[in-house]
Amino acid sequence: MLDRIVGIETEYGLLVHHDTSLRAPERIAHRLRDHIFHEQRLGLIDLHHRDYDEPVGNGGFLLNAGRAYVDMGHLEYASPECSTLADLVAYDRAGDVIVQRALEDAGLAEEASIIKNNVDYETDATFGSHENYLVRRSFPFDREGLDRLVPFLVTRQVFAGAGRVGAAHVPSGLVTIGEPSARPQVSFQISQRADHIVNEFFQWIQANRAIINTRDEPLADPERFRRIHLLLGDSNLCEVATALKIGTTSLVLQLIEDGASPKGMALLDPVGALRAVSRDSTRQWLIELADGTAASALDIQMEYARAARAAYAGRNDEIDWVLDEWERVIEDLRGDYRRLVGRVDWASKLWLLETFREAEGCGWDDPWMKSLDLEYHNLNLSKGLYFALGEEGRVPRFTTDGAVDLAVENPPRNTRAFGRGEAIRHLMKSQTPYVITWSGLLIEGRPPFRMPDPFTTYAQAINAHLGT
Amino acid sequence: MSPIGVERRERPVDPLQKPGEEEAGPKRPDVGAPDKENLLKRMRKVDPKQAERYRQRTGE
Repeated sequence: MLDRIVGIETEYGLLVHHDTSLRAPERIAHRLRDHIFHEQRLGLIDLHHRDYDEPVGNGGFLLNAGRAYVDMGHLEYASPECSTLADLVAYDRAGDVIVQRALEDAGLAEEASIIKNNVDYETDATFGSHENYLVRRSFPFDREGLDRLVPFLVTRQVFAGAGRVGAAHVPSGLVTIGEPSARPQVSFQISQRADHIVNEFFQWIQANRAIINTRDEPLADPERFRRIHLLLGDSNLCEVATALKIGTTSLVLQLIEDGASPKGMALLDPVGALRAVSRDSTRQWLIELADGTAASALDIQMEYARAARAAYAGRNDEIDWVLDEWERVIEDLRGDYRRLVGRVDWASKLWLLETFREAEGCGWDDPWMKSLDLEYHNLNLSKGLYFALGEEGRVPRFTTDGAVDLAVENPPRNTRAFGRGEAIRHLMKSQTPYVITWSGLLIEGRPPFRMPDPFTTYAQAINAHLGT
Repeated sequence: MSPIGVERRERPVDPLQKPGEEEAGPKRPDVGAPDKENLLKRMRKVDPKQAERYRQRTGE
């Protein structure tokens, strides 16, 4: 891919089948975390207090150099640093496999299901899929530079959205005084997170989620790098959608860094457009631009795709795949959405739900529709409806089961994750106390070992440091 | 002593191998007639009320 490090953080939902108490999902999340580290021994639990809400034992780094932890009551997995789409998709899927195997191995599969989605339909809670892109410190992280990114991010949901039944009731302020307004009447929309994004730019997260999160926390040398942290996206199950989401966003960041992004695309109301595109059942996806004209989300995407092709075609196979698939998906979206089944999550889910509605005569307001929506995201291979589509030969893969299996216990070989993975493997055989972070580690009795460059494997240096 | 990185050669495979190689890359899905009956059978097994029990904390 491009000269870039990428990663995905996933907060998993837990559907608890019998215990209806409010804390039940959180209790299961803690049991899964403990099972992963103490029974399956897939990594090293933190021995230090990482933050005010990350006490000792709250989580840890895995053998694959990613992290598993409990955050806001959710079991969360952060992939290790990846530099190719092949690795990114394999390590994203490895997280799913790690948590689902833990559920089954701990004997909890009858008690709960792991749901890789981003909303619940009863309380309007939302939880994230966060993307991380390393950029050079010189990236134009100002209004002008970020304005070039916003039209792309607002419209990429046409292929990156996971889809959902209904809409969330999100108050416009932190506190609602008096009777809440009525829930929006929406049968189906293409994004799970669009309803929950209320700002263009903001540095914090809860209650004020922005299209672009501006927190400056590179987890690397801050003089050389910046980490673009995006939280507007949905958790994807379609591997093509995952690869396309990360691949196209990487290319657009590169266009902005190179001063080659399309101009004249500024949107009049980006937050409003994000929501309107998601809810547009006509799939015309027309958006008002700041200059008073209008453009469709597909035309905006095609502008970015053409600019990327002009700048980067022929660089390598992964870039060429992204360019080809990006344009193919846009053209397919101009026709029958069913052409996207298996590649785009919202289209796959909508087709399943429409098939069911036709067979059973259900209305969109039937509770069964939300339950089927949920089941699409169930990571249990014998239950999840996404996996049912796969069994019918409807889902093209971007990775393989063998690659995912390797990614469960082995780090990527060409980034900083490799050095961290080697250290974890070594420390698991010893009783030596440790502190491990994304950008370094400290082993009792030795000087700190710093890993400020995510592009370096630190293979030789960590070997010398560990004395192996 | 061999350096770290030489010892383990396994890694996720490249999904973008050229046609004719062992693993084919992503393909367009067959949008022909899927077996709707199998899918419908699986969907009918889903508890119609399960979404009402799905109550999560808001995350990040």
